[in-house]
Amino acid sequence: METLKGFDVEIELELVSPDSTRFRLEARLRTSCGITVLFGPSGAGKSTLLLAMLGSLRPARGRIGIAGRTVFDAAAGMDLPVRERRVGIVFQDALLFPHLDALGNVAFGLRGKDRRDRAEGMLRRMEAGALARRRPSELSGGERQRVAFARALAARPAALLLDEPFSALDAPSRQGLGSLLIELQAEMEIPFLHVTHDLGEALRLGREIAIMDAGRIVQSGPVDSIFSAPSPAATRSLGSENVFTATIVRHFPQEGFSEVDLGGTRAETGLLDLPPGSRVPLGLRAEDVLLALEEIRTTSARNVIRGTVEQVDRRGPTVEARVLTPALFRVIVTAAAARELRLSAGQQVFLLIKAHAFHRLT
Amino acid sequence: MILPALRLSLLVSLQATLLVALAGTGAGWLLARRQFRGREVLDALFNLPLVLPPTVTGYYLLLLIGRRGPIGGPLLRLTGLSLTFTLAACVLAASVMAFPLMARSARVAFEELDRRHEIAAATLGHGPASAFFRVAVPLARRGLAAGVVLSFARALGEFGATLMVAGNIPGRTQTLPLAVYEAVFSGQDARAAVLALLLTAVSVAAMLAVGSLGRWKP
Repeated sequence: METLKGFDVEIELELVSPDSTRFRLEARLRTSCGITVLFGPSGAGKSTLLLAMLGSLRPARGRIGIAGRTVFDAAAGMDLPVRERRVGIVFQDALLFPHLDALGNVAFGLRGKDRRDRAEGMLRRMEAGALARRRPSELSGGERQRVAFARALAARPAALLLDEPFSALDAPSRQGLGSLLIELQAEMEIPFLHVTHDLGEALRLGREIAIMDAGRIVQSGPVDSIFSAPSPAATRSLGSENVFTATIVRHFPQEGFSEVDLGGTRAETGLLDLPPGSRVPLGLRAEDVLLALEEIRTTSARNVIRGTVEQVDRRGPTVEARVLTPALFRVIVTAAAARELRLSAGQQVFLLIKAHAFHRLT
Repeated sequence: MILPALRLSLLVSLQATLLVALAGTGAGWLLARRQFRGREVLDALFNLPLVLPPTVTGYYLLLLIGRRGPIGGPLLRLTGLSLTFTLAACVLAASVMAFPLMARSARVAFEELDRRHEIAAATLGHGPASAFFRVAVPLARRGLAAGVVLSFARALGEFGATLMVAGNIPGRTQTLPLAVYEAVFSGQDARAAVLALLLTAVSVAAMLAVGSLGRWKP
């Protein structure tokens, strides 16, 4: 099998808005052919990056490769127009053509006599065959997104960009479309770049993640490796130094806590309103973890977790310790505390964490 | 002499509306979607007939198409035809006066469109022309239609510029507004009243048409 290629982007561009504020995008992104999630707060430059990849914004410098084909290369003076890039797009609000019915929308990107048949096939694949004759104004949000996916994919693009396509949908529609998205990606074997600011969604859909902040991709790679070791800039974006992919084990509503599995380590958190078995991203600030050398039993902290110090780093007046429990925790203490505990690699410690120090990342 | 004036007026207005619909839509698109040097100057130039006295606009047109004008001169030498005081001059005057209304309506209609519709069309393999005719124009149709109706009404009521470039020749260049003017000043009161009512009826119909476009949901 030939190697399948994803996105290979290295661009710089500067936007000047009407009120003459400048926004600088300096993005480097290299992905495989699967679903990559582009995560970041609003204003980080995610949509700007998508527009540059589509070809509707022109970078000042750099190169854009899509599925193994160069579509933009500033040094070589190459800049393929949007329609020759073969990159599909699904917008947050579906943005179907309101003057065409669902079938007309899907057939819009097709040529040839059998275009309507092929469009119908694609609509059926999206489980939206019954909607063919309806206008966008007669469709629900979820139905519109199905038609928008069908429209983008029917044109046989070399890659698909998704700009927060689920953010306006309710939870059941999200789940349904999310699994369909994963199936479609596997069938079509083209790279998807999925923009979201919902970490739960990022976790469900993506195997790779790129975290964006202030116009830069601050970290990218496999989802699990990034969650277990976010860079300082990625931490800012994620909001916590510790990000866990937690699986809910059971709830204790009377007692006011939920038990979760953080990947080999059990912990108690505040009550989570998700069914047992579901996965949820949890954040934990490194300052919210206490270190003890003995197992303290009489404490209000719900979690007393045994672990081994893997690494100790001095960061100015503070010290960061990485503790394996087996889940990896990053803990920040003052230099004085580190000195008194004689923190060093290989040492056995206990982590004290309040249940409510874990917070759900969405 | 009522029917010839009505016939002439309709003929002139329809031809002018057709010209203006095409040119004004193109101009509106240019102003709404293209960034280029002198865009605002061009916009001001397009709107000039709205603010200039019609006789001044007519005067400039007369300079342009007159025997020694940059258009009229060569035309006369090459074909022996003169545009002044002809039906073509009536159409020209009506078109120039109606053009700003169409260009404005089109510009606003196109500016209100979500640009991403055009991006989506391009990602689906459509070039600029195809995206324009198959997406932008259908989506802007309400504003464009309103522009067409307004242009027709403006062309129908044109007086000053027409008088300057086409004169007031009954049966040849005398449109309804000119006929009203002549009827009043030659003391034909009944004729003036009929002509005025006729013009009012057509204008009210045009305004009703614009109003109904607002509720139009195809």
